[in-house]
Amino acid sequence: MTSMNDSPKPYRVPSGTRDSRRHTPKVEMKGLYQRAVKEAFVKLDPRIQVRNPVMFVVWIGMIVTLLLTIDPNLFGTLQADVNQQRLLNGLITFILLFTIVFANFAEAVAEGRGKAQADALRATRSDTIAKKILPTGGVQEVSSTELRRGDQVKVVAGDMIPADGEIIAGIGSVDESAITGESAPILKQPGTDIMSSVTGGTRLLSDELTVKITADPGQGFIDRMIALVEGAERTKTPNEIALTVLLAVLTLVFLIVVANISPITGYIASFLDGTIGAQAGADLRNGASVAIMISLLVALIPTTIGGLLSAIGIAGMDRVAQFNVIATSGRAVEACGDINTLVLDKTGTITLGNRLAAEFIPMNGHSLEAVAQVALNASVFDETPEGRSIVALAERSGAKATFDPKLAEGVEFSARTRMSGTDLDSKEIRKGAVDAIKGFVRSRGGYIPNALDEAYERVSKLGGTPLAVCQNDDIYGVIYLKDTVKPGLRERFDQLRRMGVRTIMLTGDNRITASVIAQEAGVDDFIAEATPEDKIDVIRSEQAQGKLLAMTGDGTNDAPALAQANVGLAMNSGTQAAKEAANMVDLDSDPTKLIDLVTIGKQLLITRGALTTFSVANDIAKYFAIIPTIFAAAGIGALNIMGLKNANSAIISALIYNALIILVLIPLALRGVQFRPLTADQLLRRNILIYGVGGVIAPFIAIKLIDVILPFS
Amino acid sequence: MKLTHLKRTLAQPSKQVLETIAEIGSEWRRQKLPLYLFLGLCFNLILAPAVFAATGGDLSRTQSYWLGALMIVTIALGIYLFFVMFVPERF
Amino acid sequence: MLQGWIQIALTLLIVVAITPFFGRYMARVFQEQRTILDPILNPVERLLYTLMGVRAKEDMTGWQYARAVLYSNAVMLVFIYLIFMFQGVLPFNPTGLGAPTWDLALHTAISFVTNTNQQHYSGEVTFSYFSQFAALGFMMFTSAATGIAVAIAFIRGLTGRPLGNFYVDLTQSITRILLPISIVGAIVFIANGMPETLAGPAVVPTLEDPAISQAIARGPVAHFEIIKELGENGGGFFGINAAHPFENPNGLTNLIELVAILCIPTSLLITYGIFANNLKQAWLIYSIPFAILVGFVIITAIGEYQGNPAVNALLGPDQAVNLEGKEVRFGWAQSALYAVFTTASMCGAVNSMHDSFMPPGGFATLSNLFLQIVFGGQGTGTAYLFAYLILAVFVTGLMVGRTPEFLGRKIEKREVVLASFLILLVHPIAILIPAAITLAVPDVSGISNPGFHGLSQVIYEYASAAANNGSGFEGLGDATPWWNLTASFSLLAGRYVPIVALLLLADSMSRKQPVPATAGTLRTDTGLFTWVTAGVILILGALEFFPALALGPIAEAFQIARGIG
Repeated sequence: MTSMNDSPKPYRVPSGTRDSRRHTPKVEMKGLYQRAVKEAFVKLDPRIQVRNPVMFVVWIGMIVTLLLTIDPNLFGTLQADVNQQRLLNGLITFILLFTIVFANFAEAVAEGRGKAQADALRATRSDTIAKKILPTGGVQEVSSTELRRGDQVKVVAGDMIPADGEIIAGIGSVDESAITGESAPILKQPGTDIMSSVTGGTRLLSDELTVKITADPGQGFIDRMIALVEGAERTKTPNEIALTVLLAVLTLVFLIVVANISPITGYIASFLDGTIGAQAGADLRNGASVAIMISLLVALIPTTIGGLLSAIGIAGMDRVAQFNVIATSGRAVEACGDINTLVLDKTGTITLGNRLAAEFIPMNGHSLEAVAQVALNASVFDETPEGRSIVALAERSGAKATFDPKLAEGVEFSARTRMSGTDLDSKEIRKGAVDAIKGFVRSRGGYIPNALDEAYERVSKLGGTPLAVCQNDDIYGVIYLKDTVKPGLRERFDQLRRMGVRTIMLTGDNRITASVIAQEAGVDDFIAEATPEDKIDVIRSEQAQGKLLAMTGDGTNDAPALAQANVGLAMNSGTQAAKEAANMVDLDSDPTKLIDLVTIGKQLLITRGALTTFSVANDIAKYFAIIPTIFAAAGIGALNIMGLKNANSAIISALIYNALIILVLIPLALRGVQFRPLTADQLLRRNILIYGVGGVIAPFIAIKLIDVILPFS
Repeated sequence: MKLTHLKRTLAQPSKQVLETIAEIGSEWRRQKLPLYLFLGLCFNLILAPAVFAATGGDLSRTQSYWLGALMIVTIALGIYLFFVMFVPERF
Repeated sequence: MLQGWIQIALTLLIVVAITPFFGRYMARVFQEQRTILDPILNPVERLLYTLMGVRAKEDMTGWQYARAVLYSNAVMLVFIYLIFMFQGVLPFNPTGLGAPTWDLALHTAISFVTNTNQQHYSGEVTFSYFSQFAALGFMMFTSAATGIAVAIAFIRGLTGRPLGNFYVDLTQSITRILLPISIVGAIVFIANGMPETLAGPAVVPTLEDPAISQAIARGPVAHFEIIKELGENGGGFFGINAAHPFENPNGLTNLIELVAILCIPTSLLITYGIFANNLKQAWLIYSIPFAILVGFVIITAIGEYQGNPAVNALLGPDQAVNLEGKEVRFGWAQSALYAVFTTASMCGAVNSMHDSFMPPGGFATLSNLFLQIVFGGQGTGTAYLFAYLILAVFVTGLMVGRTPEFLGRKIEKREVVLASFLILLVHPIAILIPAAITLAVPDVSGISNPGFHGLSQVIYEYASAAANNGSGFEGLGDATPWWNLTASFSLLAGRYVPIVALLLLADSMSRKQPVPATAGTLRTDTGLFTWVTAGVILILGALEFFPALALGPIAEAFQIARGIG
């Protein structure tokens, strides 16, 4: 049998920042910022602005101040130099314009990054010619866009796979670098639970495959990935929607407050006319002019978070793609942040996955070589890595494959019998779970040695899997399959625990093995001897308590559980059914990717919350900057605690701060607030100090600085 | 005979007028914005004199017209924000 | 001076001491547990339920509860309006008063139905005894009970229970809480010299010249008085309210009134704590309005003690206290305390004239009206405080990376819409817009003290209406159709829109499935969270009304400090 470089994907050690391990195709970053600047001005179109409530109010304000620049006495004659007013209004218009432009720029940069990735993906996918297999058996060449679900195509070496599908015949190795960035080819074969699905846009390197198409054109994985990173079709996540409501309410409140200031000041101004003098009244009326009221409004409404909200969301989805995960919706990513429980398989997820035969334990008077020989005989037809390792160990122990495979029949492993083996002449050679072999031997009238149970316990206590080996009714011994926990997992589970996420390990192993591995890996709970039904039961019972569950899976039998879980992460190497049922697919087929997703989900929320707090906290300083100076004629000038020069200087300083703070916070919005695995209370304390208290203090300093720099007298 | 002929010639242009009106109506139903703008401007014509009267002569007529327009824009913004509050998914 | 401060401290202490007991009692009543009055009241209530056609065990949804509130209040509104308009022909009218003007009757009816009791009239010369006790007194009980019922429904919804039955809650609020205390209170008041009579005004010869007589108004005051305070109503039998010697004869009655004003709103927080099984959280939440209350009392008291600099020069140093508009038997301390208590709790009764307070007092009372949660109105105040809490939870929840949840229930779009609408939007709309219009339209404002104080007068009136308080800067000439009708808008908007919103909010919360708490959950019963909530309340409240405050009391304070006007 030809052996190919078909080892499963090398396992990545989860240490160091994920940044260093990104594998997406290189995106064209040159010119991204230039394009974004241009895009920022294009987005000034009111039809686009109307979709962002807070910035739309700023936009309307800008139009009004623009009109006021043309004619400062448009809404009423002000007792002030017309040209000076014109200058002030023009300056305000200019700053408002740039406030909107900066917000647009943030969104454009976020979208631009996504577009660059999407373009790189699009380049890999072009309309290819597919070899469609007709019902008559012949092959017809059609364009890949004409393929539909259920069609069958033939793919030969060198061809690009035309669309997503499931292999129904043939074996071949596929280059999936277009979507995963991994250049090492993957062996794909039909029928097994893993490695049987292919993605459109990848290239077949060898042999020939018959593929059944499972996705219509435009619905395939690459299409979904493009849609995800492009962000244009993005729908808002539930928390984003709720936050939008709050921002709209705050904006409306300030609109009402500011709109009603004018009659109030009008009344006070008349009073001042009568008591102090006409100048005082005029000063107050000037202080409440429309341009200044618009400035006050813009300063008060939460423009910082309003302008950056969409950029945060887009950048978040982008980060998901950078981790090589395809999510079908932002909602799923947000749900990751709320997960209470994580359900993980043992084999391949928590442990390295390929259990290797480490030792033969002979019993019943047989010798080591005899056991090795029988074990080898039982594993001749066993294609699994475990089987191969048993063969390797047996050969190392001196056994040799002595018989002709054609004369023997292989007995396949089944979840029901939990055994596999070979039927040779009249000999039934079996290996499998200890109690299964016991039953087999008993049914043939054999004798169970005590050593069997002892060996079973010994191996289990070491955390290994014991496989019993027998020939007919004679138990030859136990094979010790060793399973190692992936390095670095313990720390990650600790992180999860601190974040409040509980981990449950599911395995088909016996209780003792499971508990040892669970202990070593540091999971909170485990379920041994689990069947596929157990998976769904666990999910259902946790959800009944109101918890949110995430699980990983790759096989078709995982599909119901993946669909039931709140967050289902399917492995790309898994079956199409699993990928359909899940709401996220990991292209690296790394189940611990869930941990990264939890981080991203939480990061999204934290960034939004932090910037909202900062935005609202800023208002205090802006109030203290603007109100005492514009109403100084009413005698409240002493409240001008920042000591700003005059009303105009205060307004301009506040507006400049308002615009610049958006620009300054763009990197934070795109990168996301750095997530620390602390408890909720610790996190709150930290973030309130930085964004709450900081948000109160920072603008006081900044506005004062800007005021000092400005050349107003 | 002559009477019916006259009726028919009259019926033709009036049918055309009806058709044009129906077309304009359906067009407006689809694109609401120009309709609202027009209604807003008309309403401002009613509002402006009220503003002029209320401010007691401080403002000129054009100024009170623009002030009326500003008030309508403010109220429209308020309605827009209410809309965002209750149907945020559309934004 | 020290005596004044001691009086203040003692009163506050008594209020705090009563809270846990009363709160526990109310929790027992509304959780259908056994209480002392059961033997007498159970058969009475059963009879009432049969008469009303109420099936006691039937729970209502949010909309049903809201509809019940609206319908019952509407019917009562029409009922008392008719009593007013026909008061000329109804009995118990010893002074022979005719019907008031339709706008005044309408405003008064709306004002009493909404638990505000804003009075654009002087009681003894406008309404007959029958109107006072059959219409106004009746409304005092039912509007207060409506408020308590809404609060209990809200607490039930928040803690995951069904909202209950409005009519049952209404009945039990009256029979088990308001009536028993009122009966005892009224008797104590009568013992202290408050009149309770249906006889006409007493005609007595004056001291200076026995030949000349004076008619001294009296009436069925004592029972009116106790429910006025206990039910957060505030409508005085007489025009000068609790400054009148017949409404507040001495220091003891003043103390009882003060405690009665705050006892229900404060205790409802403990009732919440019992329903939620988290007394620690209840006391932490309690500390926020309590701290604000104490702060405002101190500000007001200092302002009154320091007096008016313009006048102090004339009075001399030992009399340099602002006693204008105050009763001598209460002095600066008790008047300041009463003013802050009454605006904090939306009672609205006054034992001194708020219009005569110095700017710090104006600032404190006005801010109380703006915030609405310094224990707040009967029942509604508690709910508003939780609306603020939900908003605080929303923002802080985001900041710790989880979908925000309160008491294990997720705060989603619907909750944010309802909470932010009821606590942030209704107030500015109901206060600032009418105030701006009143100031813009010439000659309707009725301002008696032009300038910053006049502005405060106008804003205070609308704020008092919107917050359902009822007190006022009564130099304001508000007995006009303009004021009657515009204030009615604020009254209705400030009462019923938030009530419907908060009932829907409670309903929505009660239907959610609670999520169990983990290390990642944000604890809402910690000191840190309480500080954050206090910050949210002050910032959002201050942000909304800072301009109004700046041009009103704050500007007035600067003006007085500079010595002008």
